[in-house]
Amino acid sequence: MGAAGSKLEKALGDQFPEGERYFGFENFGNTCYCNSVLQALYFCVPFREQLLEYYTSNKSVADAEENLMTCLADLFSQISSQKKKTGVIAPKRFVQRLKKQNELFRSYMHQDAHEFLNYLLNEVVDILEKEAKATKTEHETSSSSSPEKIANGLKVPQANGVVHKEPIVTWVHNIFQGILTNETRCLRCETVTARDETFLDLSLDIEQNSSITSCLKNFSSTETLHAEDKFFCDKCCSLQEAQKRMKIKKPPHILVIHLKRFKYIEQLGRYKKLSYRVVFPLELKLSNTVEPYADVEYSLFAVVVHVGSGPNHGHYVSLVKSHNHWLFFDDENVEMIEESAVQTFFGSSQEYSSNTDHGYILFYESLGPTK
Amino acid sequence: MMNTSNGMISGPSSSSASAANPQSPGIKTYFKTPEGKYKLHYEKTHPSGLLHYTHGKTVTQVLCKNIKCTFHFYVLKVVSENGFVKFWCQVTLAHLKDKPAPSTPTGTSSSSTASSGFRSATARLLGGGNGNRALSFVGGNGGAKNVGASSRIGASFAASSSNTSATNTNFDGKGTYLVFNVGDAIFISDLNSQDKDPVKSIHISNSNPMCHAFHPDAKDGHDLLIGLNSGDVYTVSLRQQLQDVGKKLVSAQHYNKDGSVNNSRCTSIAWVPGGDGSFVAAHADGNLYVYEKNKEGATDSSFSAIRDPTQFSVDKAKYSKSNPVARWHIGQGAINSIAFSNDGAYLATVGRDGYLRIFDFSTQKLVCGVKSYYGALLCCAWSMDGKYLLTGGEDDLVQVWSMEDRKVVAWGEGHNSWVSGVAFDSYWSSPNSEGSGENVMYRFGSVGQDTQLLLWDLEMDEIVVPLRRPPGGSPTYSTGSQSAHWDNIVPMGTLQPAPCMRDVPKLSPVVAHRVHTEPLSGLIFTQESLITACREGHLKIWTRPDTQPSSSSEATNPTTSKPSLTSKVGGSS
Repeated sequence: MGAAGSKLEKALGDQFPEGERYFGFENFGNTCYCNSVLQALYFCVPFREQLLEYYTSNKSVADAEENLMTCLADLFSQISSQKKKTGVIAPKRFVQRLKKQNELFRSYMHQDAHEFLNYLLNEVVDILEKEAKATKTEHETSSSSSPEKIANGLKVPQANGVVHKEPIVTWVHNIFQGILTNETRCLRCETVTARDETFLDLSLDIEQNSSITSCLKNFSSTETLHAEDKFFCDKCCSLQEAQKRMKIKKPPHILVIHLKRFKYIEQLGRYKKLSYRVVFPLELKLSNTVEPYADVEYSLFAVVVHVGSGPNHGHYVSLVKSHNHWLFFDDENVEMIEESAVQTFFGSSQEYSSNTDHGYILFYESLGPTK
Repeated sequence: MMNTSNGMISGPSSSSASAANPQSPGIKTYFKTPEGKYKLHYEKTHPSGLLHYTHGKTVTQVLCKNIKCTFHFYVLKVVSENGFVKFWCQVTLAHLKDKPAPSTPTGTSSSSTASSGFRSATARLLGGGNGNRALSFVGGNGGAKNVGASSRIGASFAASSSNTSATNTNFDGKGTYLVFNVGDAIFISDLNSQDKDPVKSIHISNSNPMCHAFHPDAKDGHDLLIGLNSGDVYTVSLRQQLQDVGKKLVSAQHYNKDGSVNNSRCTSIAWVPGGDGSFVAAHADGNLYVYEKNKEGATDSSFSAIRDPTQFSVDKAKYSKSNPVARWHIGQGAINSIAFSNDGAYLATVGRDGYLRIFDFSTQKLVCGVKSYYGALLCCAWSMDGKYLLTGGEDDLVQVWSMEDRKVVAWGEGHNSWVSGVAFDSYWSSPNSEGSGENVMYRFGSVGQDTQLLLWDLEMDEIVVPLRRPPGGSPTYSTGSQSAHWDNIVPMGTLQPAPCMRDVPKLSPVVAHRVHTEPLSGLIFTQESLITACREGHLKIWTRPDTQPSSSSEATNPTTSKPSLTSKVGGSS
């Protein structure tokens, strides 16, 4: 839409960020879940930069096999290389590839944005891991020739062709992955057992009139294991009462928070949307981390918003902060909004409110070192 | 003197939505503190039929606008919804004295109030702007410093309890009123009447009211300030509004007409304590303006361009006849709330950037300040003695700042959402302070968007101890070396970074009570009660516990004693 695009350009005027592009995405039949997540990822600057770098270094390989990541990289490259600053792009190739690969997204039914985000990130991880393994295999077969070569910009943590059993760390992990630690303390012998697990996003239970801060606290609250939930203590060699707690052992550079707004109601046999008002601040600090990462600060840069009263219909839009401006992406429409307008997407204090625009996936970027 | 009316509202609170909310179980009409039960006494709200949001922004969402769906035989569903950006209700307490002068003028009044002929009453005023902010301000009070004296002066509120419900036609010119804003209207309710509806509704035609403040000692009768979303400011006489039968502002003085000086939202407004009619208005663009009430709101006011928008700067008006007379550029981002210390010496501001800033008002200099743990700060309040400041905001914490130590001395943890109102309870005294003039224990309250009211006890003797343990020498807190101590650690005019989570002692609340179904926006303490307000404009008056039966006394008896507490209040740390 030329009219809407020029309107946005006028609104920004000479404040339009240099080298930036603001493009809406066409909708190919209920693909707003896809469009809104892609916008959030495009304005996740570390992700965009890595993907464009990957695209540049792989463009010369003409016989490269097409996959979801190459289609995504191609789409991002299309946006960033546009001569116009604003406009509309059709993510046709990406959507076709997505539907071809995953039967779940093949229908024209409304899809869940969080499922799509999870699928996409894990798919990119799989592709990068395969390539890293292939590179490793090549190194092993030709160990005498340039063993320190860095293929595809990946950080391969090995030397002299020695095979490691360590998990492969891709740039997606460096951007999105954090580590949770499950601490269980036996109440009899006081032994603490810790089990780590990685995450690419956090899914939080929500409560009416709460905040992200309190939802994160509840995520890490202490749970007592007793009665039928007793814990088998290795030291006591028997089932014992215990206390369990989840903490963030290592926070990610990009913290993605998914609000569990869809709850299965047994009596109804279907999911119901929780329109709860959950306030999310523009800056955040995690208080449920282990000691070295205390007080690490995050800044909100994107929100995927679910519009509608139920999970199986409705709409998705995204809010994006780019160069200190907030933008509203609604498929092909792109508008600038006030920072205070972000608060209108917190949710409703009333159950049957006319406001059905609710923040669903929050994207925070770390302002400090998390290594 | 207790209220003669004993009407107790036992049902759950009414909501602006007509349907009962199944998500929310019934809210209790009382809560317990160590000194006894606070009971829900009255409720105030606005007439729902009058509500409209003509000045609200409209955000239109079109659902399922995917035209291509029709080719796949799906039903095309187009729903247009208007989501209004509602502005939050703020509440101001206003006490009007008897119109006829009493026969015995008060000898203890200061020279600034001598012309009024009788003692000034203490009135806690709350005024704020968009997004839950509370401003605590004590009217010109003859320089009373300690809480005890203020409590005695505050006892004059008992006089109003004998007042019957006043209608517009027989308004007798005295009483205690609650001023609150909802939508495009200002409502005035009688604090001591059991009527739920306001006695007065005023519709603002040009913009939405955002904040208001009351001055109990205003000389020429213009005692109520109103700040609008368009930036405009009005001063009016509360008495005149109550006497008039119309629904518009009567005899209003207009400042910043049509936002001619500043057209961003007026977020907080306050009278200068002990002043001669000066007031300050804070705006969403980070500017604060000082006005003289008696000057015309000149349309040719202009100020120099701001040199550095990130730095604090003060500019005087170019022309001597201009009003406002000065612009203070506080910093980038909205000012969310402002508060004067009781004596008017200091002005505190909190804002979008998360900083609490404390200025010396007369010298117009930044004294000190600190950043929140994270996020914006939404509200601030001074203790009566000017020793402590409370702030609350988006980190869900209540922050206690010490003016002596120039640091954050405690964090109150307990809210499950943003803190939208804080206030010290200057009418509460700890049993330990009997006899001694020094107040070693403070009671304060906070309200949040989690719909909770929390009450806190602050006992400084217990708080100070953990601060002495960290290494780095032995800091001396004796009075003699205080000034040297400050100069060595924190230079004047410095904004401190956010404290770390492990460095600040934590407070737990004495009481946590869900008082409304909607996020809260205001909190006021009075002699006999505390008042909570939610963002939708519902007010609740909670009567203080009776620790001893209150004896009946004459309305004009100035020596009504404050009931003493018999229970031991435990310190929280």
